[in-house]
Amino acid sequence: MMDLDEMKQRWTEHDRKLDQSIRLNQQLLTATNLNRARSALQRLTLFLSLGAVVWLAIVVALGNFIYQHVPGWRLALPAVLSGLFAIAMLAVTVAQITRIRQIDYGKPVAIIQRHLGGLRVLRIRTVQWGLLAGTVVWAPFLMVVAEAFFGVEDLSAPWFWAWLWANVAFGLSLVPLALWLSKKFSDRMEQFPFVQRLMHDIAGRSLNEATNFLGAVTAFERE
Amino acid sequence: MTTPALEERFQTLVGEHKRIIYKVCNSYCRNRDDREDLAQEIIVQLWRSFATFDERCQFSTWMYRIALNVAISFFRRESTRTRHVLSDEEHLLKAIDERSSYAEDAQVLYQMIGALEPLNRALVLLYFDGHSYSEMAQVLGITETNVATKISRLKQEIRQGLGGSTRVLRRD
Repeated sequence: MMDLDEMKQRWTEHDRKLDQSIRLNQQLLTATNLNRARSALQRLTLFLSLGAVVWLAIVVALGNFIYQHVPGWRLALPAVLSGLFAIAMLAVTVAQITRIRQIDYGKPVAIIQRHLGGLRVLRIRTVQWGLLAGTVVWAPFLMVVAEAFFGVEDLSAPWFWAWLWANVAFGLSLVPLALWLSKKFSDRMEQFPFVQRLMHDIAGRSLNEATNFLGAVTAFERE
Repeated sequence: MTTPALEERFQTLVGEHKRIIYKVCNSYCRNRDDREDLAQEIIVQLWRSFATFDERCQFSTWMYRIALNVAISFFRRESTRTRHVLSDEEHLLKAIDERSSYAEDAQVLYQMIGALEPLNRALVLLYFDGHSYSEMAQVLGITETNVATKISRLKQEIRQGLGGSTRVLRRD
């Protein structure tokens, strides 16, 4: 078996021949082509920016709703709870965009990989906590929606509470169901990468993998 | 520098160092489509960062940092299917004769590199390319002593055989 220095010698030989044997397509290297191409991080930034706009719109709409209903706590309180959730989601989305903008690939590998690892952990936790908290915020948000879109102001109506509890029960039942489905079927979702990634996020696999990688980067720096 | 001048300078420098992209792509990707996608992503990232490149630094060191950072992130990304794949005519970086005898020899080396964890792959690539410990430390963001320790450990582990669950080997 070759040792590392013997491999290095062979690599030098390989390297020498590479210059003549590889061709770089200069046409694809023009600024027009390169400016048009999107890197993975740019696509993620675009996706997060759209998310931030949506959350901002929700915050503004809820703020307006609270302003209109502030003397009556029965409608203002659910709107405040929903608003707090929307503000938190907006804040973590902006935090992710800021972290992406701070990435400079020209910096040393260990620094950038630790930064990217941290960003990934933040993204996965946002998905997990967003889904969990979403099932709790579901109920107050429904009360706001009921008034804003259907004009249901009398929250003491029995049918309203039955409808509300049914929705809360549905929301809460989604948590164990989503966990079970994700653990059971995520491996079979190779044809749908987005769904598979979401299932891995919910099941906690992505978080384990991301924290393991962060551990590996730290060990690589320390050893 | 004006945009056409910048573009020309970029093309020249990338052309001179195209081997780095080829070697990094082959070390982090097993199939051709992934290699093409990774090469494209590395070049896009190089172009985006080129305006901030400090001419006092070595271009190859800077290029290695970007290429390795992009490659490790690419390697770790779970879904590669949804990315844009270039058509057959659009190959960005192509070896003219991938079946020559030297290519077979190189394949053995790439297999050995492919058995390592992503961060150690970067280390070995730099070592094979003849970079000094100081340059390797600069690219990787670790100390020179750390580089020396890792290389020495790697040599020892290779001498003992690559099989088994050694610390530097990939765990997937």
